[in-house]
Amino acid sequence: MSRLDKSADAARGSGPIVPVAGFRVDKRATDAVVWLLLLTMPFWISWIGGYTQLGTRVVILALAAMSLNFLLGYTGVLSFGHAAYFGLGSYGLGLTIKFLVPNTLVGMAIGVATAIVAAAIIGVLIVRLRGIYFAMVTIAFGQVFYFIAYRWNNVTGGDDGLSGWHRMPIDLGFTQIDVLNNDLAFYYVALFCFAVSVGIMALLLRSPFGRTLLAIRENERRARFLGIPVDRHIWLSWLISCTFTGLAGTLYAMLNNFSDPHDLHWEQSGNFVIMAVLGGMRSFWGPLIGSAIFIVLEDYISSRTENWESFIGLFFILIVLFFPRGVLGMIKRKTMQ
Amino acid sequence: MSLLQVDNVSKRFGNLIAVNDVSMTVEQGELRAVIGPNGAGKTTFFNLISGFLAPSAGKITFDNQDVTKLLPAQRVWRGMARTFQITEVFPELSTRENLRIAVEVAAGYRLKTWLSRDLDGEVRARVTDLLEMSGLAGKADRLVGELSHGDQRATEIMMALALKPRLLLLDEPTAGMGDQETYDITQLIRKLHRDQKLTIVLIEHDMRVVFHLADRIMVLAEGALLAEGTPKEIAKNEAVQAAYLGKAA
Amino acid sequence: MTELILYNVFNGLIIGAFYALMALGLSLILNLSGVINFAHGGFLTLGGYLAFVLVPFVGFWGALLISPFLTAAVGLVIERLMIRPLYGRDPLYSLLLTFGLAFIFEDGTRFIWGPQTLPFSVPIWLQSQLSTEFFFLTGYRVFMVVLATVAVIGLFLILSRTRVGMRIRAGTLDLETVSVLGVNTRVLRTVNFGLGIFLAGLAGVLAAGMLGLQPTTGSELIMPSFVAIIIGGLGSLPGTLLGGLLIGVASGVTSVFFPDASEAVIYVMMGLVLLVRPRGLLGEEGRF
Repeated sequence: MSRLDKSADAARGSGPIVPVAGFRVDKRATDAVVWLLLLTMPFWISWIGGYTQLGTRVVILALAAMSLNFLLGYTGVLSFGHAAYFGLGSYGLGLTIKFLVPNTLVGMAIGVATAIVAAAIIGVLIVRLRGIYFAMVTIAFGQVFYFIAYRWNNVTGGDDGLSGWHRMPIDLGFTQIDVLNNDLAFYYVALFCFAVSVGIMALLLRSPFGRTLLAIRENERRARFLGIPVDRHIWLSWLISCTFTGLAGTLYAMLNNFSDPHDLHWEQSGNFVIMAVLGGMRSFWGPLIGSAIFIVLEDYISSRTENWESFIGLFFILIVLFFPRGVLGMIKRKTMQ
Repeated sequence: MSLLQVDNVSKRFGNLIAVNDVSMTVEQGELRAVIGPNGAGKTTFFNLISGFLAPSAGKITFDNQDVTKLLPAQRVWRGMARTFQITEVFPELSTRENLRIAVEVAAGYRLKTWLSRDLDGEVRARVTDLLEMSGLAGKADRLVGELSHGDQRATEIMMALALKPRLLLLDEPTAGMGDQETYDITQLIRKLHRDQKLTIVLIEHDMRVVFHLADRIMVLAEGALLAEGTPKEIAKNEAVQAAYLGKAA
Repeated sequence: MTELILYNVFNGLIIGAFYALMALGLSLILNLSGVINFAHGGFLTLGGYLAFVLVPFVGFWGALLISPFLTAAVGLVIERLMIRPLYGRDPLYSLLLTFGLAFIFEDGTRFIWGPQTLPFSVPIWLQSQLSTEFFFLTGYRVFMVVLATVAVIGLFLILSRTRVGMRIRAGTLDLETVSVLGVNTRVLRTVNFGLGIFLAGLAGVLAAGMLGLQPTTGSELIMPSFVAIIIGGLGSLPGTLLGGLLIGVASGVTSVFFPDASEAVIYVMMGLVLLVRPRGLLGEEGRF
């Protein structure tokens, strides 16, 4: 059954040919198409009823979902609390720009560092747990930062979120990128961060270290008896995943010029997981497709009805019951039959 | 000089004594079989040696070092590799990838191995060697989950071998196999023992395999050591016959 | 000061009893079926609103009796239609499904009854103060503790004395063996799910009497229930009970000295417990 959703394209050495929609397509061609679409998105997104910020949102949340999938799809560990690290990135940046240094790059560095530190500490506590136990503890730990943000009113803005700041133009010394007033420039900055992060993750998955993660996903006992220090590698995978999720969080705060307590909430964690599942967890680009569908749908439904949460909930249920392999999983399965 | 020495180990689960004061000495280059009726504590004994379980009492020495308290992975790094009664492989990866992971682990995944093309070439060459040695070369790019039971077992044994172990522990290598598959696996084990001078300890049910392969045989019954000797001695041993016949009756 | 602390300890016990009722239901489902029921809080909220609808017809006592059964009935239907197909699959899927259900419950109750807090009146005599010295001892609070205790004892009696209860416990340890012995494990799981949801419904009615009705009650109570289970130890119902009471008291006492940390404190406790005992206080090695 599941052998059909050919695992880990990025990490397998068995030829770059992947069947898509009846054709056998070169994997490099797929990558090229994806990058081309992303690079040109601001120019065509308005034709299909979108706008630049919506595209930026897709790219940023796709980064978070792909980072989560590094853990979920490629290490086989279920985290349901990734919003915590996303939100820590968001607040780390917001607080830095508002209270410390009005500098975007410093804010991003501090935001990501905050996420890394929290993930490293929590990772030590959870790394020996597995399966639903791991999932439950990540959910619960995720929520602690929400309560801190919610309660620490005079610093974080509590329930109202952290506003009264905005992203600053990025000064590179030789030139300045005006991300503040130019949404297009900000899109490309976000895309640049996305590309670097995704590139690093793809490289890691192709490395011997990445293969040990696959080994752990496939059969933990075997991996342990090969001498792979399983706990340590899960911890590393968790840390890598949370780091890039934190980076996505900093970008998201910059997109909105606002740190939202909802960024930290478990609902956001669930959204990341559904994006990965919807696109296909066993495919490298799956979460990107999932996030695009999810965000466009959410944007559409929430503009039409007050009760969009019910529709999102229904959407979750329908995916789980009828579409569990996700878009790319289904396409692969169809073409292999 | 002995490679593995087990001194008076016991394992209790609550009131049940699964392994009771068993000792064993395995010499370098030896092929030792552990046999016994069902419930004799063979697999528990194996799990104690490989570190999957911690003994309640006793001491295990490997290569003159006390390994009693070491984790499974630490024992692997010292040269002890094992296979399982129910084959444990990475089913959704290809045969080549299964072996490649094992070879890379043995090489120590440091930044050096990762960056250097030469080392990458070495890894590939070693994988190819293992594939050819096991006769799996033709199935290198198939998913292991799709292979026959015998081929999966062969993959598992080769993964253990990829670790360059000094001691290979095989838990019922021919369990659940047909005649041809049993023959193939027996030949593979024999080849590893003869050609690679590998020290092997195996649990086995199939007496043909045991008497065909083993240098020495150890018999467990109800958790305790019943007899030990060469295949010929064991075949003649009355206590052993009684234990097996007693069970059968 | 003593009185204030005593008040908060008692208050903490009441809240702890809630957490325990809710967490016990979650634990039942988790242990037998491996499903993390995110919608458990939603069922709790539903129990409260159903009681609210029933009160004009059958009175407080009737609603208290009927509403948990109705909630359990809704639970049975949902289990049968949506959760049963997911058994044996990656727990990720049941988690996502119940996550979606939680959205629908919260949004659905908001749609039907509105976002504002609705009052839920309890009989006058239950509202009376029992003592002037200990002003916090209202009849309703004592009543809640008594009822929660009765429910917990009842649950443990069902599990230890009835045939279905013993099967549930046996199935928690080894479902395969139970099915080999001829027990229909699908039905067992459904019954067990119903039992868990019944407890959520009961907790919902009790909560409504103290806090009034709000669509968000469920999602506010679900996280502490998770923490209660983790602190107590996955797989252990007595552990869940202990965990619920512990975090209730801990957050009650913290609210005296450092009110802003009254939510965060339970997560700190959880971290400490995991550090010292990764399986939780009463959890067993080797399971989960």
